[in-house]
Amino acid sequence: MNAMQQTIADGIGFDGLAVPAFADTGARAPGNASAGLGMRLAVRNLVMRYPNGHTALDGVSLRVGAGEMVVILGSNGCGKSTLMKCVVGLNRPTAGSVEVAGRDLATLRGNALREARMPVALISQHANLVKRRSVLANVCTGALGRHRSLSTMLGGLPKSELEPARRFLDEVGLLPLANQRAGTLSGGQAQRVAVARALAQRPQVVLADEPVASLDPEAADDVMRLLRRLATDDGLAVVAVLHQPELATRYADRLIGMRSGRVEFDERAASVGSQQISNLYVAHAS
Amino acid sequence: MNTVSSLRAAREPARRSLAKIAAFGAFVVLFFQACYGVHARPQDLITGVHGMADIISRATPPDFSQFVPSLQPIMETIDLAIFGTVLGVVLAFPLALLAASNVSPARPLYYVARGIIGITRSVPDLVWALLFVTAVGLGPFPGALALGVHSIGMLGRLFSEVIEDMDMGPVEALTLTGANRLQVFTHAVVPGVLPTLLGISLYRFDENLRSSLVLGFVGAGGIGFMLLTAMNLFQYQTVSYLLIVTFLLVAIAERGSAFLRSRVQ
Repeated sequence: MNAMQQTIADGIGFDGLAVPAFADTGARAPGNASAGLGMRLAVRNLVMRYPNGHTALDGVSLRVGAGEMVVILGSNGCGKSTLMKCVVGLNRPTAGSVEVAGRDLATLRGNALREARMPVALISQHANLVKRRSVLANVCTGALGRHRSLSTMLGGLPKSELEPARRFLDEVGLLPLANQRAGTLSGGQAQRVAVARALAQRPQVVLADEPVASLDPEAADDVMRLLRRLATDDGLAVVAVLHQPELATRYADRLIGMRSGRVEFDERAASVGSQQISNLYVAHAS
Repeated sequence: MNTVSSLRAAREPARRSLAKIAAFGAFVVLFFQACYGVHARPQDLITGVHGMADIISRATPPDFSQFVPSLQPIMETIDLAIFGTVLGVVLAFPLALLAASNVSPARPLYYVARGIIGITRSVPDLVWALLFVTAVGLGPFPGALALGVHSIGMLGRLFSEVIEDMDMGPVEALTLTGANRLQVFTHAVVPGVLPTLLGISLYRFDENLRSSLVLGFVGAGGIGFMLLTAMNLFQYQTVSYLLIVTFLLVAIAERGSAFLRSRVQ
């Protein structure tokens, strides 16, 4: 049992991949999300309307269970990234709820929000590492939320996190580079460090917003394989936004198609046809 | 409609050429106005050659016997620059954080910080020195204060621009891990901007060293004060010696700060 499995085992039990798909097609969500066994993330009727009247999300609902990997597909501007931002509390939705570990992030502010979103890790398109710090230090910063000592306030790293950070680096295959400056890494390596930093956060849910958009095919495959392992081996709920349908169908358990701020389909990856995916983009063009 | 568009397109290059000629003409007019304003008389340079040659002959050879008496003013000049730079850096950094729009905690604080930076920067260090000489008397201390206060403005402006231009990605990433504001600041903001701020501070030291030479002329101590005294007493050989010392000091400071800047980047 690795570090993340231990964390999950210490928390809520999970029930593999047996999570019912639930699309925003008028169907009712199957019961209370937090009551569902192994449910990690439950988004209900999320609406995001900007002051200029533009509706970015129009009643989006989805649920992701422990050990499940979900990929969201859709054209630019369909609301995928807005959804991610709402889930981590960067955007405050107009209506609806985002439930993680039994708490609704959509209603929280300030310190309460900071505490509540710790079980959610976000991996962005850019790794967003502190380039002048070592790879190991960057991974350790993922754990800062749990360490509020004077030392960490003054820029020190939590000593107790060094060993776990090395383990996470080992998991992503970058332990030999632990003491190297983050600024010297390639795009693919930097993104794997971002994954290790996300692991240091001890999340229950990992969100990846276009994590392979700026990577070459080989590096993209590495990162996707890593995200898949987080779900399969570590039992995390992984939600990735992608623009590569072939990667999505290869790695995801479930695909969610979005168009104009609404969920078009939410089905097992194997049952989604290429025409369904194409329609997401064709419809946008017209 | 197409004909109108094509006619407009054809006129565009001609309009641009006219604008360039007009801009050049305006510049020429402005320059001659400036020449008139400063009473520029090139012929005086020719007639003044004799006077210059006289001063140069009286200033040679430089009076190197002034080496020992000049050690104290030299140290004073360096100390002025060190004190002024440290004071400027220490006060400019927190001000810059308040004055950087991307990290400033509140809008009123942003405007207050920008105001302080604007005032300390717009008043020249020489004027600050005159004010501080009036306040605390003659000597190096008013000079050091003047350099410090002026540095607050200069550094505050540059620091805040560096902070505003920094990559906000790591800041957002750490915020999302649950780190609090102070942790985000020490773990993401500081490592991101520190090398650039150090480079700017070293450059400021170099500038302050040059400024401290001038401040001596208004009674703020250092080599400048010794230079003024020597000129008043027509000791041109001492003046030429002090000019050599000044040149060496500035050159060493320039090279030194350039070397250190290249090391911290």
